Amino acid sequence: MKIAVRRKVRRHADFEEEYNSALNEYAAGGGEIALGRAYELGRRALGEQKSLVEMASLHHRAMLGLVRGAKSEKRLVELLQASTEFHAECMSPYEMAHRGFQDAVKALRQLNETLEEEIKRIAYAVHDEAGQLLVAVHLALADVASELPVPQQAKFARIRELLNEVEKHLRRYSHELRPTILDDLGWIPAIRFLADGISKRAELPIHIESNVSERLSGTVETTLYRIVQEALTNAAKHAQASNVWIRAWKENLVLCCSIRDNGRGFDSDGTDATANRKGLGLIAMRERISAIGGTLQIHSNPGSGTELSLRIPLEGEHVNSNRAGG
Amino acid sequence: MSVGEIRVAINSDQDIVSARQKGRAMASELGFSSGDATLIATAISELARNIVSYARKGQITLKGVHGSSRVGIVVIASDDGPGILDIRQALRDGFSTSGSLGLGLPGVRRLMDEFEIDSQPGRGTIVAVKKWRQ
Repeated sequence: MKIAVRRKVRRHADFEEEYNSALNEYAAGGGEIALGRAYELGRRALGEQKSLVEMASLHHRAMLGLVRGAKSEKRLVELLQASTEFHAECMSPYEMAHRGFQDAVKALRQLNETLEEEIKRIAYAVHDEAGQLLVAVHLALADVASELPVPQQAKFARIRELLNEVEKHLRRYSHELRPTILDDLGWIPAIRFLADGISKRAELPIHIESNVSERLSGTVETTLYRIVQEALTNAAKHAQASNVWIRAWKENLVLCCSIRDNGRGFDSDGTDATANRKGLGLIAMRERISAIGGTLQIHSNPGSGTELSLRIPLEGEHVNSNRAGG
Repeated sequence: MSVGEIRVAINSDQDIVSARQKGRAMASELGFSSGDATLIATAISELARNIVSYARKGQITLKGVHGSSRVGIVVIASDDGPGILDIRQALRDGFSTSGSLGLGLPGVRRLMDEFEIDSQPGRGTIVAVKKWRQ
């Protein structure tokens, strides 16, 4: 481990030395060859995952070193100009990567919207189409039952009860898939509805505490709902938790939400979190949240429960002032 | 203002520098800002680098274009190399090592306003990109 760190430090020192030498070459009239080196250095830095902030301070040091030798004010201006040109060249690969990132986020948002549409379609099919089929089954049963002697009719009544149960569950599931409450009343009431259902089915008390009353944009509310939904499903299915606490609050213009359980937890630093099905769920959550510019942190240790912490910046576009408070 | 057509043969890393230099000079002659000239030089680098890596040799052609209301620059990279089997895949991020960082052809496409590619296995590759002056 130590050797790796030392090697990394060494490589960084080499990089800085090369940057300084290329900048000096450009300032001394190195022209396009030196600019080409700047570009290649930027490309290499990107490949080595050097942060932009690191690159900015590296450039700053190199520039200070360069202008220190200026003999006149005129030369100083020339050197500053040259170092600005050199820096822009070196940042150009970062510009490409940045545009790529913006495109990826846009594609991710579109994918999520498509998924939501698909979910709406399924929820509709479950609620309306399956519901109508059940009504038809009821009628057909009633038809058959009316022709039977009374003792057998009682058995049919039991079947009808079961069918009613099925219908109730289907309705419940379709609402949870895509609750109309989410659009009508907002994400907190929708989460209360969802938690209520899961609480009863899984015998898992879920405590919700929120002082966020204003409505947020549709995308943010849907994202929050989906993440809480996934977290609650995890808590009920895998975590063997006996309690879940959901808390939502605002810090200036950041919406914060924490979902904590007292289940068996897992090693959130370990790689196994990305390997299994649960890990996939977590990755999907991260992608959803990053598509709207937020962050998701996961704290978990075997035996000490799991906590998901969400932070979503509420800049102009995310707050929906046209919708009523919920 | 009239800017002709410039061809630069690409065989080596030095030729990449030369193509960058000529592209940057043409861009500034056409009135592009120095920031845009940098992005144009970057696109030239990526295209020329592809030629050197995959086809070994080829050429970069630079042209000024004068539309009715705007001015632009065209960069055409052509080679007789092995060609590209699946163009859609080549334009996707993550297809190659450079692509996973948003560089390479997908990166070039994002830096420029227009992008066209024609390639067939065994029959070389032509990439033509255009950027309009802001």
